[in-house]
Amino acid sequence: MSDGRPVPTDVHSLSRRGFLKTTGAGVAGGALATMLDARQAPAQIKGTTLRILQWSHFIPAYDTWFDNVFVKEWGDKNGVKVRVDHIPHLELPARMAAEFAAGAGHDIIMNGSSILTRLYYKSLADITDVYDSVGKKYGGWIPTAGPLVQVEGRTYGIPMFYILLPMTWRKDLFDANNLKAPDTWELARVAARTLKPKGHPTGIQFSQCADANLNWRSLLFSFGGAEADPSGENILIDSKETREALRFAKALFDEGMTAEVFSWDDASDNRYLASGVACWIHDAISAYRSTEDTNPPVFQNTHLAMEPAGPGGKRVSVSAANVYMVWKFSKNQQAAKEFLAHYMDNDLEGMKQSRGYNMPYLLGNTKKPMPIIGADPKMQILQDFPKIVAFYGYPGPFTTPIQEVVNLFVLPDMFTRVARGQNVEDVMKWGVGEYRRIFAKHKRA
Amino acid sequence: MAGPLTQRRKELRRHLWIYAGVTPFVVIAVFPIYWMLITAFKQNPDLYQMNNFPFWFNLAPTLQHFKTLFYQTNYGSWILNTFTISAWVALITLVTAVPAGYALARLRLPGSENTGIAIFMTYLVPPIILFLPLSRVVAELGLQDSWWALVLVYPTFTVPFCTWLMMGFFKTVPMEIEEAARVDGCGQAGAFLRVILPISLPGVLTSVIFAFTLSMQDFLYGLAFVSPGDQKPVPVGVPTELIRGDIYYWGSIMGAALLVGLPVAVLYNFFLDRFIQGITGGIGK
Amino acid sequence: MTGSSLSGGLDPRVRAAAVSAPVRSAALRPWRTQSAQRLAFGYALLAPAALYVLLLVGAPFLFSLYLAVSDANVGDPVARFIGLENFRSAWEMDTFWIALQNSVIFLVVAAVLKSLLGTSLAFLLLQDFKGKKLVRGLVVIPFTLPIAISVLSWKWMYDSQFSVINWVLSRMGLIGQFGTDGWPIWLGDPKLALVACILVNVWRTFPFSAIVLLAGFTSVPSEVIDAAKVDGCSFLQRFRHVVVPMIFPILMIGFLFDTVFTLSDLSVVYLLTQGGPGNATKILPVLAYQIGIQAGNLGRGAAIALFLVPLLVPALILVLRNLKRREY
Repeated sequence: MSDGRPVPTDVHSLSRRGFLKTTGAGVAGGALATMLDARQAPAQIKGTTLRILQWSHFIPAYDTWFDNVFVKEWGDKNGVKVRVDHIPHLELPARMAAEFAAGAGHDIIMNGSSILTRLYYKSLADITDVYDSVGKKYGGWIPTAGPLVQVEGRTYGIPMFYILLPMTWRKDLFDANNLKAPDTWELARVAARTLKPKGHPTGIQFSQCADANLNWRSLLFSFGGAEADPSGENILIDSKETREALRFAKALFDEGMTAEVFSWDDASDNRYLASGVACWIHDAISAYRSTEDTNPPVFQNTHLAMEPAGPGGKRVSVSAANVYMVWKFSKNQQAAKEFLAHYMDNDLEGMKQSRGYNMPYLLGNTKKPMPIIGADPKMQILQDFPKIVAFYGYPGPFTTPIQEVVNLFVLPDMFTRVARGQNVEDVMKWGVGEYRRIFAKHKRA
Repeated sequence: MAGPLTQRRKELRRHLWIYAGVTPFVVIAVFPIYWMLITAFKQNPDLYQMNNFPFWFNLAPTLQHFKTLFYQTNYGSWILNTFTISAWVALITLVTAVPAGYALARLRLPGSENTGIAIFMTYLVPPIILFLPLSRVVAELGLQDSWWALVLVYPTFTVPFCTWLMMGFFKTVPMEIEEAARVDGCGQAGAFLRVILPISLPGVLTSVIFAFTLSMQDFLYGLAFVSPGDQKPVPVGVPTELIRGDIYYWGSIMGAALLVGLPVAVLYNFFLDRFIQGITGGIGK
Repeated sequence: MTGSSLSGGLDPRVRAAAVSAPVRSAALRPWRTQSAQRLAFGYALLAPAALYVLLLVGAPFLFSLYLAVSDANVGDPVARFIGLENFRSAWEMDTFWIALQNSVIFLVVAAVLKSLLGTSLAFLLLQDFKGKKLVRGLVVIPFTLPIAISVLSWKWMYDSQFSVINWVLSRMGLIGQFGTDGWPIWLGDPKLALVACILVNVWRTFPFSAIVLLAGFTSVPSEVIDAAKVDGCSFLQRFRHVVVPMIFPILMIGFLFDTVFTLSDLSVVYLLTQGGPGNATKILPVLAYQIGIQAGNLGRGAAIALFLVPLLVPALILVLRNLKRREY
C-alpha cells in the first residue's frame, strides 16, 4: 500500500518545448502562452513562495512524486519555494471555510468530490486565461469540465483529473455460476440474485456519503434519467425514468444485498471486496487497487468492466471530480497560474504516477493508448470511459442549487427510502419537493 | 482461636467480591484498547478476514505499521507537537484558571456569581461556529499553520472548566487557614501564594492533567488552523494523513493512538494518586 | 472541618484585632482598606481568565449571533441582515426536529448510563484492594486516548462485516451469524445506530464521571461518615442523607459540564455515522455542520447550532444560582 520509495520520473521527456513541438499546437497569443514558450519564468515570481493544499491521494506514490519531485523541480527551475499540504478530501470544505474567514491561507486549494466553485467564486481568482490556453493546447476540455469551474462565463478553477467508479466484479464467481459479465444493470442484478444465496451478495451504499451520490446518479442517468436540463434551470428529476431507476434499486437491494448497506460509508465497499464476499461492487478504482495488497487471491480474480448499460442501452458514468482553485487573497497568483499550467502540461505524467487512476479532462490526453491503463489488460476498458463520463447535474451544468442538492444527499436519500420499503410515489413526492425547494431558494437569492 | 483465620477468609471474600465487581468495568474499558493493540501489529490480510480470530495473530505480527508511521508520516513531529502544545496549554490554563478560581471562590467580588456563570456559558457556543471567527484571529496574529495557533485556541475550552474546578477546590479550604494567614501579616497575595496554593496542590495538579488531556481531544480546530504536515498534533495528523481517499491505514492508526494515549494514561494515574491522597490528607487537618 | 464551620469559628476577639488596625487607617486612606485591596487583588486575579474568554469566546460568540441573523454563505464576503428568517426556516425543516429529538435522547440516555456506571465504579474504587492502582490506571485510558482516533477504532469495531463485538457475541450464541437477520448492523440499522453512538460516548466519558464522583466521595470527611455510622445509619441511608448532600455541588458541576460537552459534541457521531442512516443519528451539531459548512449556508447553520442556547441559558442560570445558595 505504501511504497515509500521515490518513484523515478521522466518529466524531462515531457518538457514543455518538446510537447509543443510534437503536437504542433500553435501557441496562440496571450501573455501566458508567451510565457510558456519562453524558457524562463517571468522575473516576478522568483524568490516567492507557493502554497498548495490538496488531498492525500490513495496512491501514496503519487504524493511522494508530487511533493518531492514534481513541485521541487518546477520550484527550483523558477526560483519558487513550493510547499504542499495534505488533508482528507472530505475535510476540505471546513478548511476552505476557515481560510476564507481568515482571509489567508494557501495559494492553490483543491476540491475533491465536493466542488465548491459556486459557493466561493467571488473569492477565487479568475483564471480564464490559463483554462483557455491549456484547453487550446491539448485538444479542448471534455464538455462536462467547464461547468465545474465556470460561473457567468468566467473560469475560476482548473479541472485536474477525475476518478472513475467502474464496475468491479469477481470473474471467478461469475464463471463458476455460468453468469454473463455484468455489461448491463440487469445482468448485474441477475448475478447478485444468483450469488447472494451462495454467500456473495453485492452492495452499494444506501447512505449519506460521497460514493452514494456518485453511484446512484450513474444508475439513474444510465436508465435515461436526468437531474436538470442543459440550461441548468429546470428540474428533470420528476420522470418515468427516475421511477424505474428507483424500482430497480429496490429490486436489486431485495434480491442481491443485505441490510448492512445502510451503514456503509465510502470505504465499506472496498472492504466488502477485499474480504472476498462481494460478487461485484460499483466503486472508485481505489478499491480495485487496494485489494492487491489486502487480498491478493481476490485481486487476481477481480476484473473491471464498462459502466453497465440501462434498459435503453445508455451508459453514463458519474465520476469524482478534482479541481484546483486559486484564492483571490493569494499574494502569488502569478506563480499559481504558472504552476497550474505546468501541472496540466504534465497531465499524462501525473496519470502515470497515479498508476493510471487520474483520468484526464483534456481531450487530447484521452487518445489511446493511455498511460498504464493502456498496457494493463484488465484496465484497458477504462480508456473507453471518457466518452461517457458525467458529473452532478447531468445533463445540465454543475450549478449552485445542484451543489446544495449534492451536499444534502437528496438523491441517495431517495434511493434509501425506497430500499427501506417506502412507496415509490411517496419518495418521488418528497424528493422532487426537495429539489424544487432548493432550486426555488436559489432563484430567489 | 479461629480469629486470624476467619479474618483472612473475610478479607479474601471481600477481595473476591470487589474483583467481581471491578472486572466488568476493566473489561469494558480495556477490551477495545487490547484489540487496538493487537491490530497495530497485525498484517493487513490478517485484518480483512472475517473468520479470523480477532484477538490474536493469525499471520505473524509485524512492525510494518509502525515503520509506516515513523518513516512515511511525520509522526515523530506529531508526538512532539502534541506534548508541547499540551504543556503550553496546561501552563496557560494554570496561570489563568487558578487565580480566577480563587478570586471567584474566596474574594467575594461583586458580580462574581454572574461572572462564574458567564464563564460556564462559553461551552454552549459550538466549536463548529466558533472556528470561523477564530480563523480570522489566528490569521491576523500570523499564527496560521503553526501549532502555536492551537496553543492560543485550546485554552478557550480548558480555562472555563478548570476555573470551575479550582473554585470547587478552593472552597474546600477552611476559612480559618486563610484568616490565620492574613492575621500572620501575609496580606492577600501572600496568603494566596504561600498558604492556600500549597494546600490546594492536588486540585491544581488535577487541573493541569485535565487541561493536558482536553487539549488532546480536539480535531476541528487543528484541522482548520494547521495544515502543514509537520505542525500537526497527533489527533489531527492521524485522521488526516492516515486516511487517503477512502483507504484507511488501520494498523498505523491504532499504533499512533496507543503510543500517545498510553503514556498519558500512566501520567494521569500518577497524578490521580497524589490528588486523592492530598484531598483526604488535607481534610484530615 | 469543611461545611458549616467555614463561616465562623474564629474567636471574635482575634477577628476584631485583625480587622481593627486597617480599619483605623481606612478612615484616612479609603483606597487602602482591606476591602479595596481585596477587590483590587481579586479583579487582578480574575482578569487574565476573563479577558481570554471575552476575547476568544465572547467576541466570536457575538459574531456567530450575527451569522445566525444574516444570510451569510461560506464564500460570500457580504451578508445581509434577515432577522429571524434562519430560525424560521430551521423550524420548518423536519430534519431539524428529528435532530433536536435525537440530541435530547442522546443526552438523557448517556447521562443515565454514565451516572450508573460512574457511581458504581467510584464506589468500587473507594474500597481498598490489591491492584487498585492498576485498575484505576486501566480504567482511565478511554478518556486519555485522542477522541478522533478512539472513535475511528470503534467504527471498525462496529463494522458491518468485521465487527469484533459481533464476532464475540455470535460465538457466544447471543446473536445470529453473519448474513442473517440476527447479525446486528450497528451503524446501519436506524434502531441501533443511535445506541451505538451513545455507547461510544459513555465508554469514553464514564471514567471521567467516576473520577469526579471519587473526588467528591473522598472529600467527605471521615468523621462525618463515622458519626453517621455511629448513629446507626445503614449504608444506603448514609449515602442518601449524608454523602449526596455534601458532594452535591461537585456532582452538579460534573453533570452540567458533561451535559454541555455532550450536547455540542460533533466528533463521535460525525466520525461514526455522519448523521445516518437516514436521520437516525442526526444530532444538532452534525446538522449544523452539514448545512453551515458542507452546504455553505452559514446563516442557517449558525441558527441551528445556537438554537438550544436560549433554552439552556436560563436553565443553567437557575441551576447554578441554586447551587451557590446551597453553599455556605
